[in-house]
Amino acid sequence: MSGFWIMLTGALVASCCGILGCFLILRRMALVGDAISHSVLPGIVIAFLISGSRDSFFMLFGAAIIGFVTVFLIQMFQNSGVQSDASIGVVFTSLFAVGVLLVSLNAKHVDLDLDCVLYGEIAYVQWNQISVAGMEIGPKAVWLLGITLFIIVAIIALFYKQFKLCAFDPALAAAIGIPVALFHYVLMGLVSMATVSSFESVGAILVVGLLIVPPATAYLLTDRLGMMIVLSLIIGVISSVAGYYTAAALDASIAGCMVCVAGVLFLFAFLFSPTHGLVTRKLRQRTTATREAY
Amino acid sequence: MKKGIPSSIKRFIWTLVFLTVTMSALAGCGNSQSAFTEEGKLHVTTTIGMISDVVKEVGGVNVEVIGLMGAGVDPHLYKASQGDIAKLDDADIILYGGLHLEGKMTEIFEKMVKKKTVVPVTKNIPEQQLRRVADGAHDPHVWFDVKLWMSATETIRDTLIEEDPDHQADYQARAEAYLAKLEELDRYAKELIATIPKEGRVMVTAHDAFGYFGEAYDIEVVGLQGISTAAEYGSKDVTGLRDMLVDRRIKAVFVESSVPKKSIEAVIEGAKKKGHDVVIGGELFSDAMGKAGTVEGTYIGMVKHNVDTIVGALK
Repeated sequence: MSGFWIMLTGALVASCCGILGCFLILRRMALVGDAISHSVLPGIVIAFLISGSRDSFFMLFGAAIIGFVTVFLIQMFQNSGVQSDASIGVVFTSLFAVGVLLVSLNAKHVDLDLDCVLYGEIAYVQWNQISVAGMEIGPKAVWLLGITLFIIVAIIALFYKQFKLCAFDPALAAAIGIPVALFHYVLMGLVSMATVSSFESVGAILVVGLLIVPPATAYLLTDRLGMMIVLSLIIGVISSVAGYYTAAALDASIAGCMVCVAGVLFLFAFLFSPTHGLVTRKLRQRTTATREAY
Repeated sequence: MKKGIPSSIKRFIWTLVFLTVTMSALAGCGNSQSAFTEEGKLHVTTTIGMISDVVKEVGGVNVEVIGLMGAGVDPHLYKASQGDIAKLDDADIILYGGLHLEGKMTEIFEKMVKKKTVVPVTKNIPEQQLRRVADGAHDPHVWFDVKLWMSATETIRDTLIEEDPDHQADYQARAEAYLAKLEELDRYAKELIATIPKEGRVMVTAHDAFGYFGEAYDIEVVGLQGISTAAEYGSKDVTGLRDMLVDRRIKAVFVESSVPKKSIEAVIEGAKKKGHDVVIGGELFSDAMGKAGTVEGTYIGMVKHNVDTIVGALK
């Protein structure tokens, strides 16, 4: 049973990240997940200083608030003309530095790094069950991520056309009266919600990896957004299932193996994609060349 | 714009999906091999090596012990592997350090209490004997005060007896013999440390794991970093420490097995520039013991090694 819950959790993280990752890649902001994974440090330090506890509820709360602050600041700087990579870099390094500063001033002797108090471990999800009236109804992570996925799917499905246009051609979207800035903020808010709740359940590397790698792989296979989302979901789910079995065979870190499988799939697509693949393109060039020679 | 993806790719992807779904369906059955190999023994899983060692001493032939964290592993930064799931699932008893030593894993252990015997070995140490490091947080490195580790040994003994009352007499006899050895070790450390002249009785290390050691054996402990091995240290810490080494003519500093040497070497270099030679007084064990099978791979051997190294370098 443990394997099932772990793969289900992995698949849920992959789904949340896969959907949002596609929009982030189109907007060239894929590293926003990595940025959030660092910038939440001041959030957990402040939550600890106020509550005096390292309980996961307070840590998650503090991280969620700073997560929203992070994406709000990134989006705000970008709206006012700072390049997107620069605004991500500025916001997350400054916030992380504030966190380091707060630790060194107030909590020097308390173990307060992110690895210790915020990042969860996917291997343990099955033991953290939610019980209602004495009945166990499944791991907390599965519920938390399931609800997150539901919210993401609902909002993206409702405003799919608007999100699509904002990602591809913000100028046109603005011209036909879509509140572009609002949709950017909503998307970033969803990203922050998805990443922070995933960090708490499964740790940082899995979230950051699944936010970027499957959508990037899908982008090599198709040029249509709808198909890109579907492919990135499939690739994400395959990564989490195959990653689990790889980890079982090697007795290694589960999250690490899942991201490695995603990386291998990316490499595969990079070389053999029918449209963009390196090898496929070379082969096509050669056949045209030989044909011309005759 | 291209219309969809070619059907060959589509077929390939659906094959993959089909394969993974079948594989996950199969996962439900099969793979029932236990992490433990010896039938008829009490199966105990522990986190750190110090606990494994005590369980081996007290449990003897009646238990089989599996430790999750090997030699040289920092428990704050431990990363689980897939095999750990079975090691925890198949155990009759899980023993861990507690006091947030295992970081976020502690919460999982607290949840598991409902289903099996999961015990923090520090649970019977009175709160006033624990070092408070901040509101609601205690220093988890209790094993360096041998007296406190004796309390942990008693907790381990009682847990084993509760789970396996048939061998109560065996556990009691072995625990008594081991506790006598620890009593002896405590005396050894106290007497030997006391031979260092009072003004030079200062140990400088890169890790604050020795707080309990300092309090129990009357030696001043100065750390470069905070308790967390991942915390950054300020430049003021480095210069302050350097000036103290020079002013008090302290002869040696100590580098531990689980902390990078680089941070402490910066301090030595600084002292040298001010005309005071400091040597690295040898490696101490802090968060993890030495390799299994060596003397330092046991709790008693590790404490003895630390005491001998400190006394040898400072005397």
